[in-house]
Amino acid sequence: MPRQLALPGGLEHTLGPLGHGLLLTLAMTGLAFAGALVLGVLLAVCRISPVPPLRALGTAYVTVFRNIPLLVLLVLFVFGLPDVGLLFSLFATVTLTMALYWAAFVCEVLRAGIRTVPVGQAEAARALGLTAGQNIRHVILPQALRSMVQPLAGVFIGLALSTSLAAAVGVAEMTGQAEFTTLKYDQPLTTFAATTVVYVLITLTSGLVAGQIEKRVAVRR
Amino acid sequence: MHVRSRLSLTGAALAAACAISLTACGSSATLPTPKSSGGAAAPTFQQVLDAGPVAPASAIPDGSLMAKIKARGTLNVGGTDTSALFSLKDPVSGKLTGFDAGLAQLLAKYITGKAGENLVLVTADTRETLLQNGTVDTVFATYTITPARAQKVAFAGPYYSSGDAILVAKDNTSITKVDDLAGKTVCTESSSTAANDLKQYAPTAKVILFQTNAECQQAVEQGRADAYVLDQALLLGDQYRDPKVKVVGQPFTSEPYGIGVPLASPEMKAFVNDWLKQIQADGEWAKLWQATIGSVLSGSAPTPPVIGSVQGS
Repeated sequence: MPRQLALPGGLEHTLGPLGHGLLLTLAMTGLAFAGALVLGVLLAVCRISPVPPLRALGTAYVTVFRNIPLLVLLVLFVFGLPDVGLLFSLFATVTLTMALYWAAFVCEVLRAGIRTVPVGQAEAARALGLTAGQNIRHVILPQALRSMVQPLAGVFIGLALSTSLAAAVGVAEMTGQAEFTTLKYDQPLTTFAATTVVYVLITLTSGLVAGQIEKRVAVRR
Repeated sequence: MHVRSRLSLTGAALAAACAISLTACGSSATLPTPKSSGGAAAPTFQQVLDAGPVAPASAIPDGSLMAKIKARGTLNVGGTDTSALFSLKDPVSGKLTGFDAGLAQLLAKYITGKAGENLVLVTADTRETLLQNGTVDTVFATYTITPARAQKVAFAGPYYSSGDAILVAKDNTSITKVDDLAGKTVCTESSSTAANDLKQYAPTAKVILFQTNAECQQAVEQGRADAYVLDQALLLGDQYRDPKVKVVGQPFTSEPYGIGVPLASPEMKAFVNDWLKQIQADGEWAKLWQATIGSVLSGSAPTPPVIGSVQGS
């Protein structure tokens, strides 16, 4: 005879908010990563371009954003922007800040990936009469992208985990909801253990997905 | 602009819900007014600590938790360092001042003979756990006594009665009482249960949690939040320091603050209660109130709540 399992009191009331927090976490992760990718590509183009001012701009950006802790940036943007008359929603402000911060890391991953392509490849392409654009599009990038998969997954995992910092500036994502739940039910260990499991699931999944992608696009040299 | 790169939550503990039927805690019918002038010379925080009593050896039996603390020479206190008037750290001197901090140091002096404490930062998420596993001997962190919490930790006290009030921007006329919070954006400190009180008193309000009092105040000033709900004494302190905000209405909850002690050491609870009675009787409690919370409120110290008068204490 299967025994009836009694749900601890308030579990159904808890899963709602925690689920909502998880959605916010996923939305922030997805949007911020998309933003970081777009901006990171632009920055990487700046950093490898032959135009010195653009190169300097890219370098300066990466230096600034990589060397300020994300929490400091978050507090600065959330409480500083309204002082200069820019009051956006918390979610928008935090997601934008994350995108700006992680773009610096994405840029460096891309730059390193491009560096992995032997110079001989570019020279050979040029010798064949390909233009610079064709060279990047058909010769360098297809090879460079392969070596970027794992480092980009690393950035993605870092970003996913760093969304928990948003709780510190008032976004009720998964960690924020866990704080709410703790205030209500006084079960911190259970609540945070459950949250931890979800974070681990997110990061493990991204690791596995990255592994699959890498297998698909592996280049045999 | 106040930037902090620390992830410690400020501790302001509050009650889950008013499952507690309190005898009307005599919250005065008018809002206490912030102090305008110094008035009579109240004793300084340091003077209050210096005058604190020390327990007779007979009060500390062998094998008790107090004896262990005395042998160790320091009291491990769970508290916060960002709560103005209750427990605030001076970034320059590193000293903690405030009502909770003062009581913690007085208790340390009562047991060990010297008014020093070893502060362990706690949050609403960690208080019970740290008491249960012995990391801290006691918790002073505007810790509201509730029956649910009393299942896990023992409460000495209550030593102070407070209540949630509302702070809004100076030019805000639409919010004057808790019912006006419906549908508004309301912020509070992440480690306070004002968030839960709001669920009960203003279920349609959108609650935002920030780490510190300063951030909540900033959010109200910048219009990110319409109102800020927290302990009335703390909000009056904000109003006193910042002309751009004001406190409206009367406290809409009653929060009895207790001193958390391990459930496994019943002798500690009795000991702390005896000490509370002693400092209330000899006027130390009132002097400490004057030196801390009384610095932003006018009038004399309130009558302390009766010890053991709250369910869970």
